[in-house]
Amino acid sequence: MYQALLIFKYLTSKVMPLLAAAAVMLCTAMVLIVWSVMGGFLVMLLGSGRTLMGDVSITWPVIGFGHYGELIDRLEADPMVAAATPIVETIGSLSLPDGRISMVLVNGIDGPGYARVTGYEDSLWWKPLAAPLPKDKDRRDWRLEDPDGDAGFWKRAYQDGLALSKQDEATGVSRPAAVLGIELSSFNRRDPGGWYQPLHWDVRAEDGSIRLETGPTFILKRTVTLNVIPLTRQGRSVNSVARVLPVANEFKSGVFDIDAKKMFIPLATLQEMLKMDQAGRVAPPIDPYELEIGEDGEETFIEAEPTAIAPARVTSVLVRAKDGVSPEALKDQVRAVYVAFERDHKGQVPHADRGGIHIQTWREAQGVMVAAVEKETLLVLFILWFISLVASVLILAIFWAMISEKTKDIGILRSMGASKGGIAGLWLIYGLVIGLIGSALGLGVAHAIVWNINPIHEWMGRALNVQIWNPEIYYFTLIPSRVRPDHAAIVFAAGVGFSVLGALIPAVRAANMDPVRSLRFE
Amino acid sequence: MTLLSAHNVFKTYRLGRVDVPVLRGATLRVQRSEFVAVLGSSGSGKSTLLHLLGGLDRPDKGSGVEGGSGGAVVYNGKPLSELGASGLDAYRSREVGFVFQFYHLLPELTVLQNVASGAMIRHGLVGYRVNKPKVEAWARELLASFGLGHRLRHRPAELSGGERQRVAIARALVNDPPVLLADEPTGNLDRKTGASILDALLEHRRATGRTMVLVTHDAEVAARADRIVRLDDGLVVTGP
Repeated sequence: MYQALLIFKYLTSKVMPLLAAAAVMLCTAMVLIVWSVMGGFLVMLLGSGRTLMGDVSITWPVIGFGHYGELIDRLEADPMVAAATPIVETIGSLSLPDGRISMVLVNGIDGPGYARVTGYEDSLWWKPLAAPLPKDKDRRDWRLEDPDGDAGFWKRAYQDGLALSKQDEATGVSRPAAVLGIELSSFNRRDPGGWYQPLHWDVRAEDGSIRLETGPTFILKRTVTLNVIPLTRQGRSVNSVARVLPVANEFKSGVFDIDAKKMFIPLATLQEMLKMDQAGRVAPPIDPYELEIGEDGEETFIEAEPTAIAPARVTSVLVRAKDGVSPEALKDQVRAVYVAFERDHKGQVPHADRGGIHIQTWREAQGVMVAAVEKETLLVLFILWFISLVASVLILAIFWAMISEKTKDIGILRSMGASKGGIAGLWLIYGLVIGLIGSALGLGVAHAIVWNINPIHEWMGRALNVQIWNPEIYYFTLIPSRVRPDHAAIVFAAGVGFSVLGALIPAVRAANMDPVRSLRFE
Repeated sequence: MTLLSAHNVFKTYRLGRVDVPVLRGATLRVQRSEFVAVLGSSGSGKSTLLHLLGGLDRPDKGSGVEGGSGGAVVYNGKPLSELGASGLDAYRSREVGFVFQFYHLLPELTVLQNVASGAMIRHGLVGYRVNKPKVEAWARELLASFGLGHRLRHRPAELSGGERQRVAIARALVNDPPVLLADEPTGNLDRKTGASILDALLEHRRATGRTMVLVTHDAEVAARADRIVRLDDGLVVTGP
């Protein structure tokens, strides 16, 4: 009882314990903020991988593999598989309406099929928005209202994006269209609140109403020119192929690197451009100069008849697991399906053994980056925990000084019958209380900072011209802003533990003080 | 009947590299309900003897024991040396109460809390919660009897020297110990205040019949005891 009373009195009448609690608060807040941001970064990294490629991918890059339709049918017949979709991946150059040319990662996809496997549908940016984003207090997001007074504009843009096609305004014919990463065109300005506005747009008040008008650089009204270089099955390049494509929509994955470098076009279009579509295979003529005489008596070269059909090819098939199936389990099952598939197409598709087709989970696909971030997180946390020992040492120093100051009190308590354990307990509980207060405050501070880290960062950018989180370096456009409860619990417990640890040596010293000497202490 | 006794106790303190013998075989017997004054000059070992009697310190090993009772300091027939650490803590908490020359109050606590602190230590967290009303009522009564009923919520820094010593006496008595050990209780007070403190102590003793050992260098103070023993150069030369 006397411990509780004295701890309360010491806490409320001394500055030093408050300094100790402040040290614990700063250390726990620092560790939790860094852990939350870096851990959140890792989670976003992993999550983005899954959003863009499903759970498992089967890949044979550049050249691709055929009979993928049959493979997909086999996969979708498996009870562990929710859906599978083909894609073609290549590199190309993109001519943008402002004359800029960018190297891009081109994905040929079947829009609805790709949406069943990945988060493509949700990533489409231009779509009707029923309610503003949480930080859009002034309803400034353009998507809240159809522009140009064109009812259904955003809905059409969304459907066009999903189908990767766009109706020609002049002819009314649907054409293959492109969906660009939101950061690719530079025609959009990212608002600090997390939404995008086209660079030029007008707001005109007419009879009190607000009218939004798309400006000349609104990307959905422009076309882009895509250049790709097809390769033969042997990997030799063929003449480049260019295609002008209207822009159906833009997408935002949240991964800056992808949003700035990736674009989608219809699978069939890219297959055709890369000569990966279905084609007839002919045997080379025995005599290339042999002529035949037609009915009209004219001599022409003999056209070779196709001897076989070369199936269309894709570079990957993406697979999504059913709920409750882990990517690792799915990967094993996909490999089993592929082994059977390859057995039926011996020599026509890449073999399934080691060194053959790549079958990997989304986590493995991001392996290098994930491992780097994981190791970096561990390293930073190790350094921070080491720094947190400073709090422990600080508490040790503060308690040492306090015990020196309170030597006489210890003698008095011992003279009244307080045990050594009681005296040690007094200072250990005191350390515990300081740890609890400091850690609780630290958690509060960390939570407040992490929760508002993006507005704080934006404010620093505006007021101090400081940009710590550059999306071009850190991959994501927004800083992760969630505190994981398990991380918070660990940091809290560690903060308390370090405090008690810091109090331990002074507590033992206090307990072992000679009561007579303590009473005579001046 | 002897309640508390010291038998041929030795105590040496080490100051730097020098051993300073303080007690050189002191012997003292205190009867139940007796008021003994230990008179001696400064450095004669009075306080050390009191600390040994109160279980705050232990005699040097090899201290002689009369009658083969097995311990140098004996309380109620039982040597303190036979008590373990927790037994000695309990002895200080229940059997003796200390009053010091310099009051030794806990500065952060109020007068009432200072007096109750001895009971808090004795009863522990749960026990004190149970006994709190009784203990506090007793503490208030004690303080009122020493004329401090109106000072309950004051801190020691807000009290005069005499008032502080009264609080210290009330604290020593809160657990109703059979023995009160007073170390120069008037030594830090002016003569008038010291006399009033002594009056209060004697008045209390008359009412309760409590055994009391008081050490002092003041013969006038010692004269008010039932019996005086003189301590000189670490030995009881008059008495025991």
